[in-house]
Amino acid sequence: MASAMTDLSTVNNGKGRMLRLSLRRREALTALLFVSPITIGFLVFFFGPLIAVIGYSMLQWNLLTGEATFVGYANYADALRHNPDFWRVLRNSLVFAAGLVPLNMGLALLLALALHRPFRGVVFFRVIFFAPVVTSAVAWAIVWKFLLQGEAGALNEMLALMGIDGPNWLREPNWAMAAVIVTRVIKMVGLNMILYIAALQSIPRDYDSAARLEGASGWQIFRMITWPLLAPATLIISIVTVVGSLKVFDHIYLMTEGGPENGTLVLAFYIYQQAFEFFAIGYASALAVIMFVIAMALTLLQVYFRRKDRA
Amino acid sequence: MRPTMDTQQATTSDPRLPALEFQNVAKSFGAVNVIRGVDLQVREGEFVVFVGPSGCGKSTLLRMISGLEDVTSGTVSIGERVVNDVPPARRGVAMVFQSYALYPHLTVAQNMGFGLKVRKMPAREIESRVADASATLKLDALLDRFPRELSGGQRQRVAIGRAIVGNPRIFLFDEPLSNLDAELRVHMRAEIAQLHERLGNTMIYVTHDQIEAMTLADRIVVLRDGQIEQVGSPQELYLRPDNLFVAQFIGSPRMNVFDIDKLPPGVAAQLGVPEGAVKVGMRPEDLSIDPGGRGMPAVLRMSEYTGGNSLIHLELDGGAPCLIVHHGQTSPPEGTAVHLTLDKGAVHFFDANDTSIRKG
Ligand SMILES: Nc1ncnc2c1ncn2[C@@H]1O[C@H](COP(=O)(O)OP(=O)(O)O)[C@@H](O)[C@H]1O
Ligand SMILES: [Mg+2]
Repeated sequence: MASAMTDLSTVNNGKGRMLRLSLRRREALTALLFVSPITIGFLVFFFGPLIAVIGYSMLQWNLLTGEATFVGYANYADALRHNPDFWRVLRNSLVFAAGLVPLNMGLALLLALALHRPFRGVVFFRVIFFAPVVTSAVAWAIVWKFLLQGEAGALNEMLALMGIDGPNWLREPNWAMAAVIVTRVIKMVGLNMILYIAALQSIPRDYDSAARLEGASGWQIFRMITWPLLAPATLIISIVTVVGSLKVFDHIYLMTEGGPENGTLVLAFYIYQQAFEFFAIGYASALAVIMFVIAMALTLLQVYFRRKDRA
Repeated sequence: MRPTMDTQQATTSDPRLPALEFQNVAKSFGAVNVIRGVDLQVREGEFVVFVGPSGCGKSTLLRMISGLEDVTSGTVSIGERVVNDVPPARRGVAMVFQSYALYPHLTVAQNMGFGLKVRKMPAREIESRVADASATLKLDALLDRFPRELSGGQRQRVAIGRAIVGNPRIFLFDEPLSNLDAELRVHMRAEIAQLHERLGNTMIYVTHDQIEAMTLADRIVVLRDGQIEQVGSPQELYLRPDNLFVAQFIGSPRMNVFDIDKLPPGVAAQLGVPEGAVKVGMRPEDLSIDPGGRGMPAVLRMSEYTGGNSLIHLELDGGAPCLIVHHGQTSPPEGTAVHLTLDKGAVHFFDANDTSIRKG
């Protein structure tokens, strides 16, 4: 009797395991099928071009004659060692990022702190600051080029009222860089503001109540509670903003076309010039790969610092 | 006398003075009146429980004591001082939140010491105070853990510990046990009672659970719609409720209430209904089935066995539903005609305004 029961349970167990395995396999298959469209899309439209660009970057390719010769690392050597333009452009890109990222994130955080709690008219203010994000880059550039004109520009006329003689913003290299940074920040700050608002709203209000009851000032609450709890959001926002600032193209193209005196010639715009104005496809591809590596390195660096912070 | 004596007298709290006083306190959010004229005195060292249905304004009252919410009109006093305009941190109160509100990125020790740190207390004193509080609450072994690494009961203790280290005059608890499972709730209830005994501070405790209120309170304040319905000891509220609401809110299972004119014939005369009474209330635990066939006739509809006793649902002649607590292991089958008598406890009469009528 007892042995019969043992046998029965063994058989049962065996069957059960077989059934479970095949079920698991079936589930895995279903899951694969479900993710396959996006996976295939990713491989074709992201990974494909990346590989292609790496391939092109090792060619000397004349787009007009169609002749392509393998040159190995020559294009990279060209950029990194022989061509002084590259370092100038890279410096411009870093200046642009160094100006834009802190300004954008700081302003976004301030706006979010002011606008994350409901009050009468809060939606109006959120819309005002978010609207430029969804405004066409072309319209934005036209308006700002107009406002920043040297002689009759609205900004300089306002400055004149205060007795200040404004520069010709987009015609002097340093001012032009400042102008493209600031106008870009005004356009894009709404996006980071919304992200920070969402993050702030996910912090329970009881934290604030408890801290206030314990005597913490507004600044102490921000520094000791709110800011640390925003860290995950800050990481995402900073990655997106840093990478976005390295890739900035349309804004530069429309505002300054890289001028004056190449003062706003940033990496993405330089790549565009090399590829589609000078048809140096191989060289442009090498630059694109370098940009990809820089963006990747900066991203990993930020993740690393966040990890170290938490440990 | 020397002037120093005077100052000394002013600072030592006189046990006859109220630790906390509400005078005609009202609160509105926009056009909505959430608290409508509350008067209350709490003695030093008293354990007072605010109880009432969800949304009646318990949390709002507590937040007005703490200063997290300002009062629309009236005055709140702590000690002899009107605190309407005193910032929260200067009121000498500490609060335990239902959500615990433990900062997730700080350890247990850092959570408990947070308030002392922002007040710039020397690190060594913070450490010793946290050590004291954690010894009291058996948290010593957990000081370096993060809130996410604690069980619900442990988080609750840390929240209480954080309140203790500030050495407040008044403790405020806002439904502190409602996130715990039933067993832990009973356990923590006892711990809070012991804590009160040990510390002797004034405690104001909010709950919607009348059992918690009954077991913990020196005095219970029953609230409804932003107004006080009755204030009294648990026994007073149970034995002599002022009105129908309190009668039905306090006590479990809740009191049976019948319209007097729908009672079975002859019962009203037997009860000796006073003038003006339109409703009569009898507690389920006071009613029993009379084997001698005297009392109110009723039919048994359903019985629920709970172990030590059964809850029996009946229907009086005339159709009114009635619940009794029946002691013993067996109860009559469904459909049995029985008679109910009230052999102990009181009959409660209510007038047309639901106010209690006291006989004699
Ligand atoms: N900040 C607020 N703004 C508007 N209404 C509120 C606010 N806080 C509470 N209320 C309202 O006040 C009433 C009482 O709330 P509360 O004191 O939290 O009740 P309880 O704690 O007894 O459940 C509820 O109707 C609630 O919706
Ligand atoms: Mg509440």
